[in-house]
Amino acid sequence: MKFVAVIRQVPDGESRLKIEGGKVDLGGVTMILDQMDEWAVEEVIRLQEKHGGESVVVALGPERFEEAIRTALAMGIDRAIHLVAEGYLDPISQAEALAEVIRAEAPTLVFTGGQQADWDSQALGPALAEALSWPVVSWTTQIELEGETQARAKHDLDEGAEVVRVALPAVFTSQQGLNEPRYPTLPGIMKAKRKELKKVPVSASSKVEILEQTIQEKSRLNKMIDGKDPVAAAHELVRLLHEEAKVI
Amino acid sequence: MKKKPNAKSQMPKTVAALGLLLSAMPIDFTLTDEQKELQKLARRFAREQIAPVAAEYDRKEEVPWGLVEKLHAVGLLNAIIPEAYGGLGLGMLEEVIIGEELAWGCMGIYTIPMASDLGITPILLAGTHEQKQRFFKKLTEKPALAAFALSEPGNGSDAAALRTRAVRDGDHYVLNGTKTWISNGGEAETVVVFATVAPELRHKGVVALVVEKGTPGFKANKLHGKMGQRASGTYELVFEDCRVPVENRLGQEGDGFKIAMQTLDKTRIPVAAGSLGVARRALEEATRYAKEREAFGKPIAEFQAIQFKLAEMLMGLETARTYTYYAAWLVDTHQPHAHAAAIAKAYASEMAFEAANQAIQIHGGYGYMHEYPVEKLLRDVKLNQIYEGTNEIQRLIIARHILKG
Repeated sequence: MKFVAVIRQVPDGESRLKIEGGKVDLGGVTMILDQMDEWAVEEVIRLQEKHGGESVVVALGPERFEEAIRTALAMGIDRAIHLVAEGYLDPISQAEALAEVIRAEAPTLVFTGGQQADWDSQALGPALAEALSWPVVSWTTQIELEGETQARAKHDLDEGAEVVRVALPAVFTSQQGLNEPRYPTLPGIMKAKRKELKKVPVSASSKVEILEQTIQEKSRLNKMIDGKDPVAAAHELVRLLHEEAKVI
Repeated sequence: MKKKPNAKSQMPKTVAALGLLLSAMPIDFTLTDEQKELQKLARRFAREQIAPVAAEYDRKEEVPWGLVEKLHAVGLLNAIIPEAYGGLGLGMLEEVIIGEELAWGCMGIYTIPMASDLGITPILLAGTHEQKQRFFKKLTEKPALAAFALSEPGNGSDAAALRTRAVRDGDHYVLNGTKTWISNGGEAETVVVFATVAPELRHKGVVALVVEKGTPGFKANKLHGKMGQRASGTYELVFEDCRVPVENRLGQEGDGFKIAMQTLDKTRIPVAAGSLGVARRALEEATRYAKEREAFGKPIAEFQAIQFKLAEMLMGLETARTYTYYAAWLVDTHQPHAHAAAIAKAYASEMAFEAANQAIQIHGGYGYMHEYPVEKLLRDVKLNQIYEGTNEIQRLIIARHILKG
């Protein structure tokens, strides 16, 4: 069996982004393996640990992506294919380029992040499935193989979850709760250097061109709760967090 | 420094020759991809695993053994042991990179793996192949620590005045005496103990013996009431007719003092690395607070008095880091490094103490409270000026280096 994780490198959520000349300026920003892709990498490694075979990461992006690829290799992935493309490429064009390589690899399944942190898009997984003509299970929280030709998976819906049986090969996208990713270990980091990383230049052109980028700025509500009666204040805080902020 | 490929072609001969000389200049501040990866791992480990529990273990004055197990699991423990003996064979620069990151999370917690490396180094320097196999196996196959026992209640800086006695009895040494301020002393699988076979010979009578955990006659009493670095266990070790096999002796009788000094000439560099971590944390905490805290209608970061403090902190941090990397490079390229290790250790620990001090000052009253992390930085880093040779001893080493020529 062969398990593929498709990964991307994105700005660290904790770093501050700046706009320079209508474009996001990534200079000085820490770039990391997309957290949702990290879940995909972890799941692929776990599937390989359980069922044997091979694990592969495939990434499409600029040269700097190599750092994220090395992280995946240090976590335990066997080898990597890097489709090198500088500049922006829309998800559909990315999926088409990725599909070509993935079809040739003929994996048992493909895992990728449920959402791409930089575009805030959920397109890549489904677009990849479309380009491959494979089924897709999005927001996966559990997966179990039933032989080599089908899998049982649990995935989130807007207001609940469902358990599905899906024919393989298929594309799965990750959701919080799927797993707790391991740290890349120091021996893993040292071994990663010796693992195969194949570079393939890609010359696809984007169907979407970015003309201008801005950063959304939210003004604070500055709500103050009178704390004279602590019990009433706590009730009011809970009510606001529940009804207005909708975080609890 | 890389030159543009065609820059040389139109130059006169002498300039071209100079260009050639420049391109051959063996100085390069770039970390390798591998070093960047291990820095990232250590940084993440410090942020997610160490920093959140640092205050708790400081308060409890307890060794976070769960964290020691996690350090082992990701390969950050005892990683200087060579690959041939089950370790990763990390160089000094890698150790420094990791040290800064872990100490950013908590200097006290970083002292645990750092003091373990201190206990490993004498075996690395003076152990036979058989000794390395025997002792390093215990330190790599499971989460385990090493320790280094030189100081005694009656002597510290004057290391040659030690009074712990080793008396040869057949194929054993019988150890009697007390060691103190021994980091990891109670947890360690192996403790390198420096004792004397003949006190009147001073440093020429010192022998280094590896004492294994559980050896009859060896007891460790935890010391309580430390000002800082309270997550690291500090012990008094008592030896009462403790029989240590001769095959646990490093080098010959009389080699012990040299082994101890050569060890410290290396392991002072990780102390400097820890100071870098503390200073960076102080700068980050102070910067964040200065941007948030307002006085006279604006964030205090807009006042020059605060800006100058932050600038001083960065000046100290960057110079100390650069010099510490240099000292590590000397070790990794097998060059004399005793004075550089002393400079790095003393300079970085003093710089970090001042950075922590100024971070408290910037925080004002809040900085004096446990609620904010900066007072702990000061308490922790004070020890960096004392252990592995006080900064006064470092100055002696540096002065001797100047005057010996």
